[in-house]
Amino acid sequence: MSDYLVKELMVPLSEYATVLEGSTLFDAVLALEKAQEEFDHTKYKHRGVLILDKNKRVIGKLGQLDVLRALEPKNEDSGKIKELSQFGFSYNFVHKIRKQRRLKAAPLKDLCSKASKLKVEDFMQAPSEGEFIEEEASLEMAIMQLVMGRHISLLVTRGKDIIGILRMTDAFAAVFHTMKECEN
Amino acid sequence: MKELEKLLERIIQRININLRELEYDVSPFIKNLVPLHQMVKFYAFYGITPNHPLDLVFRHSSLAGSYFLGKIRTRNSILYKSDIRGDELKQKGDVFQYQKFEIPITRDEGIDIEDSFLIKTLVHNFSHDPETLEKFFIRDTVSTHYANIHGSPIDGCFLGPFATVDLTSMRDCVIGTFSYVQAGEVGHLNVSPGTVWVRNPDEFNFLYRHPLNKLNHYINFIAGRLPQGFLMDFVDDRKEGFQRVFNAVNLEQSFPVPSNASLDRYAVIKPKTHISENVLVAQRAYLQNAWLGKGANAQENCYIINSRLEGCNVTAHGAKIIEADLGKNIFVGFNSFLRGRADSRLTIGNESIIMPHTIIDIKKPLTIPPEHLVWGLITNSQELASNSMTLKDFSKINNGLIKGNMSFEGNGAGFVTAFRERIHHILEANGAFFDGNKNRGHAQKNQNISFNTIQPYPDGKLQGLYPAIVIQP
Repeated sequence: MSDYLVKELMVPLSEYATVLEGSTLFDAVLALEKAQEEFDHTKYKHRGVLILDKNKRVIGKLGQLDVLRALEPKNEDSGKIKELSQFGFSYNFVHKIRKQRRLKAAPLKDLCSKASKLKVEDFMQAPSEGEFIEEEASLEMAIMQLVMGRHISLLVTRGKDIIGILRMTDAFAAVFHTMKECEN
Repeated sequence: MKELEKLLERIIQRININLRELEYDVSPFIKNLVPLHQMVKFYAFYGITPNHPLDLVFRHSSLAGSYFLGKIRTRNSILYKSDIRGDELKQKGDVFQYQKFEIPITRDEGIDIEDSFLIKTLVHNFSHDPETLEKFFIRDTVSTHYANIHGSPIDGCFLGPFATVDLTSMRDCVIGTFSYVQAGEVGHLNVSPGTVWVRNPDEFNFLYRHPLNKLNHYINFIAGRLPQGFLMDFVDDRKEGFQRVFNAVNLEQSFPVPSNASLDRYAVIKPKTHISENVLVAQRAYLQNAWLGKGANAQENCYIINSRLEGCNVTAHGAKIIEADLGKNIFVGFNSFLRGRADSRLTIGNESIIMPHTIIDIKKPLTIPPEHLVWGLITNSQELASNSMTLKDFSKINNGLIKGNMSFEGNGAGFVTAFRERIHHILEANGAFFDGNKNRGHAQKNQNISFNTIQPYPDGKLQGLYPAIVIQP
């Protein structure tokens, strides 16, 4: 077993970017910016925002990809294009259509302005069963969960409460440190 | 009627199990779609000819108003006014060509319907599945009004009104209202209404989506209600003509039919209709002031009204042609609806292909030039421009094309050739090329059919069900 426990590597909830349910994507981006400014423990910056309900319980995670997804132009064609692969059209063909559609869409500024008013809960990912880990768990357990579930972070629990977040970068930094120790 | 009610419940349960992955419950759609007391009202009938095998076995089934020809089995099924036409089934000794394989057929192929509910459905052609060449099966399936199951073994599927499955093996799928699927082999798909999909893997892929807001005017289907829309009204308005031909035991043929043409006694023929040589008119076809040139055909549930077809025209199952003039060698695909007006006729040039499930409904005259491929929903010349191409141009596609609601990927020439070969095969099978000696097809073979009728239990626990019946030579 390694010497590392999850609680030693995690970012406490108080230091992570959080917003309340009902906030806009712009609120979330501001919260992320603020948390990044205040957080300087490592060179790795936060890449997501946790969404809390009115009781301050975590109900979802909003990652960078989720925000970018909100910029995708939406109209009645979106669903149709998505369905093309279901009907056996090749990746290249579908990609070509998406590209054409993107070129016809509004400029990025307009898309950003529109997206910033959208609600976080429409784009957040609700945590799945394998995304929780006990604070006393070892780094090995955390790595296993990250790898098996292809997660970029895990929510750290104490009893029923979520007390922090273990990012992939935190786990990686610990692994990197151990590797260096082994070599020396 | 208790047994019939139990049978319907059993069918619903079985199909819902098959469709559980799609979270699709068929019961609200079909519970009252056909009141079960209707099942007692109509006799079933079968054809006897020297040209087709006679091998029918019906067990624990209700067959109201349905027609059977060839080698057919039904078990635990309800068939309502459906046509099960086994005149193109493979026969012992045939060889089936599939890719590089030549597969010998070891016994006569049969249509096998089990645990299914078919409403006004046409079943025709033969199984194209190389894994089940001698059995064209339909299992755990519900198909609704004017659906076509054509050369497609299917298992655990739900077909909406006017849906067609063509040359496709299909498992656990929902095929939406007015959708057409010809894709070789598919499973676990929920195809939305108004989808037209023709795919030959590694060759081509054609997909068109009807605009639903416009399609709903023609046909729509909501749980708990009968299918609605203009297509249903159109058919209902002409129901009376069929009642007459189904009620009469002996019908006098009231106008001349050439000796090499075939007019089914269960077709409706209204005045001023002309039938030329080698013409095939199938049962439940409706002709009114229709001029059919040499080798033309009108298949089941076709309506040809105030129209002229110059010859070698394929009017596929369920197609409707009204106030139109069609040149030669024109293919009008399954369930297409082509409507001109008395003062604004629709004209279609020679060799054109109207894709299955196309709707052309115009208020001003419209001409489709020769050798065009036409698809989609068209009400004027602008829509024709975005929903058609010359066959020559289409053949030039070698990568992909998006035109309006149509997406095409692959080899355009391969697509056009496949259609042309199929049209030729249909004409050949229907006897359009009969020269008095060679190339006999349905138009010649189906001329002298005797029809026998069979009836269900009229009352009691088994009311509406037919006793076990075996009919063999």
